Amino acid sequence: MSTIDLKLLIWRQKNSDSLGDFETHVLKDISTDMSFLEMLDVLNEKLTKDGMEPVAFDHDCREGICGMCGAVVNGVAHGPEKETTLCQLHMRKFASGDTLVIEPFRSRAFPIKKDLMVDRSSLDRIIQAGGYVSVNTGGAIDGNTTPVSTETAELAMDAAACIGCGACVASCPNGAAMLFTGAKISQLSLLPQGHAERKQRATAMVAQMDKEGFGYCSNERECEAVCPKGISISSIARMNREYLKGVFFGR
Amino acid sequence: MELNPNIPSGPLAEKWDNHRFTSKLVNPANRRKFKVIVVGTGLAGASAAATLAELGYKVEAFCLHDSPRRAHSIAAQGGINAAKNYQNEGDSVFRLFYDTIKGGDFRAREANVYRLAQVSNNIIDQCVAQGVPFAREYGGTLANRSFGGAQVSRTFYARGQTGQQLLLGAYSALSRQIKKGGVTMHNRREMMDVVVVDGRARGIVVRNMINGAIETYSGDAVLLCTGGYGNAYFLSTNAMASNVTAAWRACKRGAGFANPSFVQIHPTCIPVHGDYQSKLTLMSESLRNDGRVWVPKKQGDNRPPSQISEDERDYYLENKYPSFGNLVPRDVASRNAKEQCDAGKGVGSTQLAVYLDFAEAIKRDGEDVIFRKYGNLFQMYQKITDSDPMKEPMMIYPAVHYTMGGLWVDYNLMTTIPGLFALGECNFSDHGANRLGASALMQGLADGYFIINTSVAHYFGSTPLAAVDTSHEAFTATADEVAARVKRLLQNSSGGPQGKVTVDEVHKELGRLLWDHCGMARNKEGLELALAKLPELKDRFWNRVYVPGTEKDINQSLERAGRVADFLEFAEFMVRDALAREESCGCHLREESQTEEHEALRNDEQYSHVSVWEFTGDDQAPELHKEPLAFENVTPSQRSYK
Amino acid sequence: MWFISFVNSSIGRKAIMAVTGLCLISFLAIHAFGNAAIYMGSKYFQIYADTLHGFPVLVLLFGLGLLVILTAHVGFGVLLFFEKRKTQSRYRVATRVVENTFASRTMPYTGLFILLFLIIHVFGFNIAVPADVPISAVVKDYLSGFFYSLFYIVAFVALAIHLNHGFWSMLQTFGVNHPRYNCLIATLTIVVPVAFLVIFGGIPIYFMTGAGASF
Repeated sequence: MSTIDLKLLIWRQKNSDSLGDFETHVLKDISTDMSFLEMLDVLNEKLTKDGMEPVAFDHDCREGICGMCGAVVNGVAHGPEKETTLCQLHMRKFASGDTLVIEPFRSRAFPIKKDLMVDRSSLDRIIQAGGYVSVNTGGAIDGNTTPVSTETAELAMDAAACIGCGACVASCPNGAAMLFTGAKISQLSLLPQGHAERKQRATAMVAQMDKEGFGYCSNERECEAVCPKGISISSIARMNREYLKGVFFGR
Repeated sequence: MELNPNIPSGPLAEKWDNHRFTSKLVNPANRRKFKVIVVGTGLAGASAAATLAELGYKVEAFCLHDSPRRAHSIAAQGGINAAKNYQNEGDSVFRLFYDTIKGGDFRAREANVYRLAQVSNNIIDQCVAQGVPFAREYGGTLANRSFGGAQVSRTFYARGQTGQQLLLGAYSALSRQIKKGGVTMHNRREMMDVVVVDGRARGIVVRNMINGAIETYSGDAVLLCTGGYGNAYFLSTNAMASNVTAAWRACKRGAGFANPSFVQIHPTCIPVHGDYQSKLTLMSESLRNDGRVWVPKKQGDNRPPSQISEDERDYYLENKYPSFGNLVPRDVASRNAKEQCDAGKGVGSTQLAVYLDFAEAIKRDGEDVIFRKYGNLFQMYQKITDSDPMKEPMMIYPAVHYTMGGLWVDYNLMTTIPGLFALGECNFSDHGANRLGASALMQGLADGYFIINTSVAHYFGSTPLAAVDTSHEAFTATADEVAARVKRLLQNSSGGPQGKVTVDEVHKELGRLLWDHCGMARNKEGLELALAKLPELKDRFWNRVYVPGTEKDINQSLERAGRVADFLEFAEFMVRDALAREESCGCHLREESQTEEHEALRNDEQYSHVSVWEFTGDDQAPELHKEPLAFENVTPSQRSYK
Repeated sequence: MWFISFVNSSIGRKAIMAVTGLCLISFLAIHAFGNAAIYMGSKYFQIYADTLHGFPVLVLLFGLGLLVILTAHVGFGVLLFFEKRKTQSRYRVATRVVENTFASRTMPYTGLFILLFLIIHVFGFNIAVPADVPISAVVKDYLSGFFYSLFYIVAFVALAIHLNHGFWSMLQTFGVNHPRYNCLIATLTIVVPVAFLVIFGGIPIYFMTGAGASF
């Protein structure tokens, strides 16, 4: 088992109201088999033993699916490995002597709560604005009544794979949530079950997105590049289409 | 403690209908007068909160994450079962019921399981209508795959992310109700206690994880949808924050806890590779279709696998179970892997792993075929371990995965505290002593979408409930207790960390103790040893644990400390339950109870019951109650895989 | 009301950029088609110009329309540019995962340069033209000058670069993104700007190199 030594420049901020700054820590003998979050665990155990406060960071499933974890490592959301969440990034991707600058996801719409922990409830409110099919429990018709082609189901699944981590927002030069919103609108506009509400859905979700303070899209493609689930910006194109239809032909 | 399962009368197939007819209803106009508290927003919680709000009840929902979409239901990979019989294989509600009861080794309640099978079909329809992108056949119909424990293909799936898609479906229904004002959502709140007024659950106490405030909420019914307790073992496939606190606090307030020792251990997980390891990752069981499990014949043989020749390898599953070979059920595979490692034949740096070798399958079918089948799993494995299963054998080891035990509930999903309901993995009801693959998602959604509405209406319709709000003395008293407990967790912190232990250190020790003595195979001696060691561990925790920071702030160490404190108390229930059940059943081998061929031996005469434990006071032995299980529609049979 | 909220929305503003951009491209296409008459000789070019100016009201309306569209395009472009500046470089380590294309990085600059060119161009060929000299003669006169022509060529290169990103960006904003046609779109983002560069850029070269001496 090989080990590496690292220097961490890690963002510390007491709460939303205070100013934060970087703190430097040196970690020795980090196993390359560790995940990035396990490396942070080791740092936190060390800080605790030294009588300091551990670094607060959000995490839960550690399987890359819950979307809770995330930080910007050396300027890249979720770190250097493609299509990988921070919890699935392993330390073998780094070399001994590396300096890692670890910062929270920054965006106007993601206030920092503490250290690397941010508030992403703005994304929830976008979904609440229309990211659903309005069906009550109970009245559904048989699942096979409406056929859905394999291709459509696959495309919808590509978009539905979004884990809501917010990396797209964190990496967008404009702090836009276009990929997140586009993915949900795409999923529901592709599937026939979502058709009844598609016009109203697109306008409502985009309006909420703007209200939350997310930026616009300047086609930089950074979101797509850092997305741990590889969601493509064709979702944004589909959202634009849905939105224009909604604005000009909705009621 | 009185255990009345309230099973409806009539033939099995008519019980649910009879029950719905005889249950009381609440007039639509009156529903808004009732407030329901839902704790947890996984499959069970989100679906229950959305469904009840749609019906017109006022709902307050709570989760400890930053968003209700993060619950660990999201990590389920395989799929969800339903008795649709879309594949024309002769599947039926009765067959799904039978497979589930048999899979649970005849330790579940017939009526509950039958109802689960009945509503399974509605779940699929509901999820499709919500826009869940299930896999489809070319003709546009829903696709199915087969799963362990069944001879029919009845599992619906959305790639390897079925749990995620179903949860996002329930989350979207919940989001819709939040927007409409039917549900008030409270994120980043951890439930700390149940408030019981006049013998009924009337509210909860939570800790606001952002500012540390102890908050109280009142309601007319409380639904616990807080998942399982697999993290008692420290290492499990559960999410980091999964915990027993809500269920355990309810138990301390008078809810019976059923079968706490029924824990499922999944055979194919990526093994532990260091002390720093925080969790285990599941690899799909389907790998055993083509992989061959082996260990070196010689103890402590640490040569690389390529240097160990065929005649030096022990394909122990194939040798021991010639007819099933590598495809023996989960519990058998898990147990045998541990047996080999305990005998010193484990591989890898920790010697806690066995090989799962694809070399022969690759030779037989070609690289392409194998990669097409398992490519994404291989890539996931490679990402974590940096080793390519196409070139060298995979290493696997069993890991704690799911807890069948949970709060005891009757047919209405109500615990022994009136007004307190438990849904999903949090209750014990449907999986007996072992859960079949793709059944957890089914149960969580069945409880939340289709069952709880009847129960809640019946409870409100048949119970006179006095108006209670948070100014009631029971709320202030419970909140004070909670605040005192939080303070107590921080009591050792003033003098600095010197000579103290961290939360994780104690948790790891507890995990090790449970894994060694209350894991896949248990015996009286080991369990008694564990029972003797627990008080010392608890003492060490309370007297020496160092928790940095304050209670008035975001403090993840404090959150963990609270959970571990409850795991420490709850572990005693697990061990005592395992000790009391002197039979092998479902997931577990009780070493004293096995056949001459070392196979699990169930004892129906003495143990065909649900063990329900009643909390009788701190540092006092809990009291065991039994709910006998009657099998009128199926005949319990002994499993054999030879 | 709905239109105002549309224009104020994040996608709406991009849509305005795209629609006005499309109008401007269409105008350029017509303009390029007309100007191609230069390659046929001064006689044909003069006929084209005279015919066009035989409809003064139409030309005026068209011109005013173009002015509005151009103002909107430039106005919203500048607005978006400044909004973007506000949110940039929020991390200690500034890095990019996808390297931006040169065209995309320089959109505001190529845009402003084209605006400068446009002012000079309109001034030279519309406003400051002596009434008694035929337009074909003015063209030859101006474009035979080396530096004037060079300026034109540079401006057309800037236009091509601007279009290279603008054309794709416009289609993305309209939601034209389909796996089957993405390859075609990628080709068009090269072909369209190059076509304009060849037709427009060819004119100053035509005169500069002396190929148009007999014009």
